[in-house]
Amino acid sequence: MNQEKTVFICEDSAEGIFTAVYDGWLEAKKGQIQIRICEPENMELFTRFQYVKSDSEKAGRVMRTVLMKLGTIAYQDLWYAAAASDPDRGTAVFYTIYKSYNHGKWDPGIMEAVADAHVGMVSRLRTRVWRELHHYYGFLRFREIGGQVLFSEIEPESDILEMLGEHFKDRFQGENWMIYDKRRKKAILHPRQSSCTVIRDVQPKMTDQSLGQPEIYEDLWRAFCGAIAIPERKNLALQQQLLPLKYRRNMVEFT
Amino acid sequence: MVIQESMGLMEKLRILADGAKYDVACTSSGIDRSGSTDGIGNSIAAGICHSFSADGRCISLLKILYTNECVYDCKYCVNRASNDVVRTSFTPEEVCSLTMEFYRRNYIEGLFLSSGVKGSPDRTMEELCRTVQLLRTKHHFHGYIHLKAIPGASPDLIRQAGYLADRMSVNLELPTAEGLRRLAPHKSRQTILRPMRQIQIQRDASKEELVLFKHAPRFVPAGQSTQMIIGASGENDYQILSVAESLYQKYSLKRVFYSAFVAVNKDKALPSVYTKPPLLREHRLYQADWLLRFYGFKASELLSESRPDFDLQLDPKCNWAIRHLEYFPVEINTAGYYQLLRVPGIGDRSARRIVGARKTHSLDFTDLGKIGVVLKRALYFITCNGRMMYRTRLEEDYIIRNMTDARRADQLLGSSCRQLSFFDKGEDGIERRYAL
Repeated sequence: MNQEKTVFICEDSAEGIFTAVYDGWLEAKKGQIQIRICEPENMELFTRFQYVKSDSEKAGRVMRTVLMKLGTIAYQDLWYAAAASDPDRGTAVFYTIYKSYNHGKWDPGIMEAVADAHVGMVSRLRTRVWRELHHYYGFLRFREIGGQVLFSEIEPESDILEMLGEHFKDRFQGENWMIYDKRRKKAILHPRQSSCTVIRDVQPKMTDQSLGQPEIYEDLWRAFCGAIAIPERKNLALQQQLLPLKYRRNMVEFT
Repeated sequence: MVIQESMGLMEKLRILADGAKYDVACTSSGIDRSGSTDGIGNSIAAGICHSFSADGRCISLLKILYTNECVYDCKYCVNRASNDVVRTSFTPEEVCSLTMEFYRRNYIEGLFLSSGVKGSPDRTMEELCRTVQLLRTKHHFHGYIHLKAIPGASPDLIRQAGYLADRMSVNLELPTAEGLRRLAPHKSRQTILRPMRQIQIQRDASKEELVLFKHAPRFVPAGQSTQMIIGASGENDYQILSVAESLYQKYSLKRVFYSAFVAVNKDKALPSVYTKPPLLREHRLYQADWLLRFYGFKASELLSESRPDFDLQLDPKCNWAIRHLEYFPVEINTAGYYQLLRVPGIGDRSARRIVGARKTHSLDFTDLGKIGVVLKRALYFITCNGRMMYRTRLEEDYIIRNMTDARRADQLLGSSCRQLSFFDKGEDGIERRYAL
């Protein structure tokens, strides 16, 4: 058993991870590999470190192979897991794909083998990302600015901006809207009846003026949320369990 | 009765949202519909929760009454004709603008429109239809619409409404005809069940048309639901569950909702105003409802004439398992899917994963933990490759005592023996965080 270990250091994004999967494929035959999104605090002996530059071509080839050979469910699971925020997701994603390939044959049932550590981690991360995505489908709030643009601010733990964009593109085709990811300084823009654009490294210059006056519909919504609760069934602990505090910062009815 | 014609939108919204809050049907699930360029909105079959209210319930639709004027005098209702409350009404345009503006800001998935009976069932239903028609055709709203059918409205109006709404519902109100007669004398079983039957028949016809013609208009695509009040009229759980079971079978309902009775009115036919809503009982009924729909149980398996009420200490599934220990232990590596579903601690997702994971290798208890089985409950009922996790006795008393809090087990079984401890405390420090 070869003791040599290679550590690939890639960009903290789904594209970076899949590029590292492509680069690490041949290395994995020689020994253990690890995919990290940042340099480790302590370097290790007997380990080779290799920096990976994100390449959309390579990432695309990996994902196309996964989609064709392992099916749409595995494709979605791996994509979600790569979008998560856990620093160890790269290795888990790599070994899940690697283990599904055996002597020339791909096994689409790999995602069912949840007992395996790597597949289990991919499964858990996938659930985490899916839950956050579905939470944001509901908890994201738009604010009308200048009567023309719907603006929203979010702080997700996982990288779900593009996925949210897909959902709202279908829902609000005739509206100008944009969503700003405060944590990653990314924004997605959608002009009316047009396709989305993603902007990275956004420098926000927001003043109180530019955000517009507090609106009548925001006040109406607050009134509605207050009126709809049944006082005899008040259960703030349950409300917090279902609607965690971290989402409330950007929600109109809680600010 | 005070009727205010000109009232600000804010005040109207407060009153008419307050009036609609006892209608617990608020899911936005049941239909997938893509967005389109000519309008706004799409629909997600799983449903989306946009917010949660202070009572812990999901807010996903703009749930309002069209008007809280009502000619009926149902004893349990805050808007009954003999109550002196401020009455008001929306106009169709107001409902549309509220819905559209809330929807654009992603506050809601859609509209839930109910109403008091203004003048007559037909007149009310007509106004509701007009509102929804305006929303669909003038504002091109493609989001979710849940419309109540007014009992007693004409079949033509119900038919018209069904092609506009995604889901319709008629409230059963009370589980038995006798309860309905006592507490809501203006409504009858017939006026409630007739529109339910009509919607069911029309839905089936529409599905057949869709097979022949792909773009045929869809009638109530997300199905129907209904609601029963729990604890107002003295029925036991077995009666309620049997009614729910027969509704699912005979009327193809998507959901039955159970609403714990909240004493808003003082009336000699109702429980006292100081009664607290029976929330735990409602929770048990929902658990049993899930067992009926997804776990292959029948109402007669969970309850019977001799044991007509749910155990408040144990959930219905555990209760069934403990009383039917002849079906256990179940061997994880060979049992069928429906057999696995009957084990407490194994739900639909765990059962499917077990069936999938055991194709590659046989499972043991650590694997089950990773799969997501609640071993704390399941360990009394399963074996892996012939061995149980710990040495346990397959005995009713033993298992009950281990599953519930020791002090409560004494209440259940009558105190027989109890382990003495230096650290006995008087207070119950357990905090349960589900809808209690």
